Amino acid sequence: MKSLEKQFKEVYEANYAKVNRLCLGYTNGDAMLSKDLTQDVFIKVWQHLDSFRNESNITTWIYRIAVNTCLLELRKKKPVRLSNHLNHIEASTENQNNDKELEFNKLYHCIGRLKPENKSIILLELEGVPQKEIAEITGLSHETIRVRIYRIKKELTKCVRK
Amino acid sequence: MTTFEDLKSQWKNQPQQDIPNDGSESILKKLSGIKRKQIITNVILGATVLILIVFFTYIKAYNNGLISFALSLMIGSLLIRIGIEYFSIKKLKAIDVTLSASVFSKNMVSYYKKRIRIHYIATPIIILAYCIGFVLMLPSFEKHLSSGFYTYIVFSSIIILVVMVLFIGKQIKKELSILKEISN
Repeated sequence: MKSLEKQFKEVYEANYAKVNRLCLGYTNGDAMLSKDLTQDVFIKVWQHLDSFRNESNITTWIYRIAVNTCLLELRKKKPVRLSNHLNHIEASTENQNNDKELEFNKLYHCIGRLKPENKSIILLELEGVPQKEIAEITGLSHETIRVRIYRIKKELTKCVRK
Repeated sequence: MTTFEDLKSQWKNQPQQDIPNDGSESILKKLSGIKRKQIITNVILGATVLILIVFFTYIKAYNNGLISFALSLMIGSLLIRIGIEYFSIKKLKAIDVTLSASVFSKNMVSYYKKRIRIHYIATPIIILAYCIGFVLMLPSFEKHLSSGFYTYIVFSSIIILVVMVLFIGKQIKKELSILKEISN
């Protein structure tokens, strides 16, 4: 029988990047803060792993923990405000790397302006999570998710184009 | 012109963060550290209660009605405060993080509403009870202690009270802002 530690290691390695990307979306791209949050998420994953019943996909289950942890922890630790950081980059941007960085920061900035619930929905959509699973993670109906995604997509695209 | 699909592919293609070496092992180590801290906290709380009870019996407070009442007020209010914090932390930890975000949010809102009620009702009563106990003890302090030490106790207690009220005020402000954000 596979030990719990071994199962945790596999789950950790298979999901680390996904969780970290999601946390980056919640922290306006703050790498240090998102690393801390990712660690908090996996601490909770370990604490509840023995109660995971295989009723849903393990990744969906982890996303549920990640969304709840990020929303809660970010109320305690506020991420850096992007506006100042963004102005600084805008002023000094010359090369391609900075352009790419600026694009990402703009995307993070636009995501950061969304309401917490909408932020979770669009981050999961960006991750390519099916809408049915997003509904399961957020606890909203499939229909609500479909309508919300349509609206947020428009709002986000408009904001990035500015 | 940027479309949402462009943003999606941009999102997926962002530079990957490396998985930390021995990441899962370091999490397990961190967890045993957290458990150790919890044990230390419980030992400290237990020791505080024990010291207070020993002090109470050592000075034979039960022989003097007023001192006994004053000390009971002080010790009781401290114990109630510690108890409230202990059970609050336990309750917060018991909120299931594996539930859907909307159910989790509802549970968090109800937790913080209870916390605010504690702050507005129980905390002022506790502080008042502690202060009454302290004021009632002052004649006894004055009688048994040197005037220098008595003055020191009076002034330091005022400073401690101000710091405590400021600290609790900050905590209330923080929890109110958390509640406001979750309720949105």
